[in-house]
Amino acid sequence: MPLTNLLCGLLETGVNQLHQLDSSAVIKRKQLNGTIISASLKELNFPLYFVISDQQVDVLNKFEGQADCNIRVSFNALNKLQDNHQLTHLIKTGQLEVDGDIQLVQQFAKLLTDMDIDWEEHLSHKVGDVIAHKLCYHAKKIHQGSLAQFNKVEKQTALYVTEEIKLAPSGLEVAYFCEQVKTLETQADKLLLSLNNKLEQLAVKSNKRLGANSLAGK
Amino acid sequence: MQETPDNKTHFGFKTVEEDKKVELVADVFHSVAAKYDIMNDVLSMGIHRIWKRFTVDCSGVRQGQKVLDLAGGTGDLTAKFSRIVGAKGQVVLADINDSMLKVGRTKLRDMGIEGNVSYVQANAEELPFPDNHFDLITIAFGLRNVTDKDKALASMYRVLKPGGRLLVLEFSKPVYTPVEKFYDFYSFNILPKLGKLIANDSESYQYLAESIRMHPDQDTLKEMMNNVGFEGTEYFNLSAGIVALHRGYKY
Ligand SMILES: C[S@@+](CC[C@H](N)C(=O)[O-])C[C@H]1O[C@@H](n2cnc3c(N)ncnc32)[C@H](O)[C@@H]1O
Repeated sequence: MPLTNLLCGLLETGVNQLHQLDSSAVIKRKQLNGTIISASLKELNFPLYFVISDQQVDVLNKFEGQADCNIRVSFNALNKLQDNHQLTHLIKTGQLEVDGDIQLVQQFAKLLTDMDIDWEEHLSHKVGDVIAHKLCYHAKKIHQGSLAQFNKVEKQTALYVTEEIKLAPSGLEVAYFCEQVKTLETQADKLLLSLNNKLEQLAVKSNKRLGANSLAGK
Repeated sequence: MQETPDNKTHFGFKTVEEDKKVELVADVFHSVAAKYDIMNDVLSMGIHRIWKRFTVDCSGVRQGQKVLDLAGGTGDLTAKFSRIVGAKGQVVLADINDSMLKVGRTKLRDMGIEGNVSYVQANAEELPFPDNHFDLITIAFGLRNVTDKDKALASMYRVLKPGGRLLVLEFSKPVYTPVEKFYDFYSFNILPKLGKLIANDSESYQYLAESIRMHPDQDTLKEMMNNVGFEGTEYFNLSAGIVALHRGYKY
């Protein structure tokens, strides 16, 4: 089917173009030289065949031979593939099925996802050192800036949400609050009453004493 | 193939002596060899890459096999097959024209392809290989240049292993009239001009356009393949039949 051929072509060109910029790709390909890996997305269910050689990665749409390793992976597990620790977890949860050597999968995932590209260096060949440096500097700044902005927004939303929960208490909370206010009221009343009594008692006592004193003084 | 009397054959729309055709075709490819790849991309708007991908997909080729890329020119298919068959496999790039072979060899060496590819100057009509030798033979955009196509097909049948396949990728007859009209206009008016512009060689591309028209259509070629012994022959129209891929098996 020429449409899938077109897709494979684009994918192949993309991967190999990136590999040209990736200083570690040659070694990674050497390790996998001669390996053919069939990989399919669980959501799509048509396999692609990756033929890995010293020279490049070829992506085929059909292959009648035996692949060295068959991988079926769900789309959202794709970016977790390069993490060795997650692989077993992915397999256990059924997001990844491997028929073949798991080490090949790791190497293959590294080959496709873990690229070591010095954009500044490559750019400098095209536009000169100074501009390349400036561009990369700004790109980094923008990246960091947007990262910081993103974190800020995240925090603020969290705050806002909790605040909002406090601002709008549930009915039960209101009833409990009223209850508390009432007990407080009665307690305060009681306190006031006893305070009053005490004050009165005090006044009576001091009046008596005053009277006695004045008698004695006369 | 349409018969022409008195040992004459077609060179584009001209009729020439049969033994002169080889020479004339050679001239064409000597003169375009250097710019051949660029021209391919420009003239087909890059689509030839997709036709070739489809060809590889239909090849069934696998590790360790022997492949003959006949009329292989600058070796696009050879490069792909070389990587698929791997170190234990073998690919032969054969072409009648040593200029094309040289360009092909240099290109493949620069790509780092070595070890499992050999280069042979050979005429498709008389292949210098033993019987039952290859698992796969491809001839891409080559058959129309061959003088005696039946003889060439028979020769391919001979060197193919039982169970092997032949793939013929070649210009063919567009299946819709509008496509044909556009295509005619393109190949007779635009193509030679582009040829002049880029390779400074409008005649070779005039020849290209004419040779395409003289080439047998889908069913005729299928018939020709069956006549020399191929079985299970089928064809796939690509780009509305501008190009067709024929596949036949030797059992
Ligand atoms: C249009 S090129 C195709 C090259 C390559 N297969 C491709 O698809 O890019 C045609 C090639 O056929 C070669 N050729 C022409 N007549 C031939 C013959 N009788 N035997 C072998 N090769 C021949 C020419 O030298 C030329 O390199």
